[in-house]
Amino acid sequence: MSLRVDHDRCTECRMCYIVCRELDINAVYVALEPLHRIEIDLDACTYPGCTACLMYCPAAGSIVEAATGRSMVPPPADAWQS
Amino acid sequence: MHPILEEFCDKWVWPTMPGAPGAEFRLKLTHEKCLAAWETLLERTVRDIEEELTTNDEGWKRDHALRGYAAEGVQMSIKQMSAQLLSVDIGEQENYIDLQRMRARQIWDECKHSKLHADVLLGKGWVKNERELMNIAQANVQPLPAYFGLSMMFPHIHPLARAAQNYYTEANACLGIMAYIKLVDDPLVVHEHLSQRDEELMHFMEGKFQLDFYCTTPESQHHVEDALGYLLHQIGGFGRSPQPAAAK
Repeated sequence: MSLRVDHDRCTECRMCYIVCRELDINAVYVALEPLHRIEIDLDACTYPGCTACLMYCPAAGSIVEAATGRSMVPPPADAWQS
Repeated sequence: MHPILEEFCDKWVWPTMPGAPGAEFRLKLTHEKCLAAWETLLERTVRDIEEELTTNDEGWKRDHALRGYAAEGVQMSIKQMSAQLLSVDIGEQENYIDLQRMRARQIWDECKHSKLHADVLLGKGWVKNERELMNIAQANVQPLPAYFGLSMMFPHIHPLARAAQNYYTEANACLGIMAYIKLVDDPLVVHEHLSQRDEELMHFMEGKFQLDFYCTTPESQHHVEDALGYLLHQIGGFGRSPQPAAAK
């Protein structure tokens, strides 16, 4: 299971990139093609083990579960409450 | 708790990264200091809007747009925040480079926001072009030059002092935007606020991120508490600004 960016909602603020980099996971990257947009490397992303990017994303609906399309912003309780 | 504040907290404040090293400090600050101030300012905003909606005069929309134009673009973003970029010493740039980039973006976000206020003034016919705003004093002054800017920077020069500004002050911006969108159905006023919403929330998230990740020691937390204390001291100044005589 992993996450992907909904480019209709994402504002390219890069909060997810910064957080992912801070944690040295580096799953969030800027894809040079086609539009230098933020993307998530499905192989590197450790979701649901890590949900950090979801906690700092300001654009509702911009990060979704890749498999289900479920919106994860704002983060639902199961993403941060044990 | 006001329903707008409760919604804001549930969506954006309470969600916390498990294991975030500074989260306990952030949540303590939130409960002990931020919540009461956020609520006070939100209630003041809601009360102002409700009063304004009882009148048939649209002058309050003009005043609001003029104040916003002054506060976001002219006075704050370009003059103050660009200088704030220099508050990080050369040797520390590497440690705060992402925050520097975020601040550089925020300058342009705020400039865009001033344009949104100008959209209202142009759309309502109160000015024919943005250049006319140079002749209106109200569009060029704000009562709190220090709340996110130069005079804030000098006594609170540590880069993490920004965390208090981003977390506390930008939450106030978010709450105000939520109130205007909820209570006012004028399309231009909605545009004025809706187009700022995600950006102000990003600025808030910058503060949340700094607190959660970097404010992990008494020394780093001190810089945040010190700056937040200053911001809370100014709470009385966040109301309506007096209208300068030249603007009447």
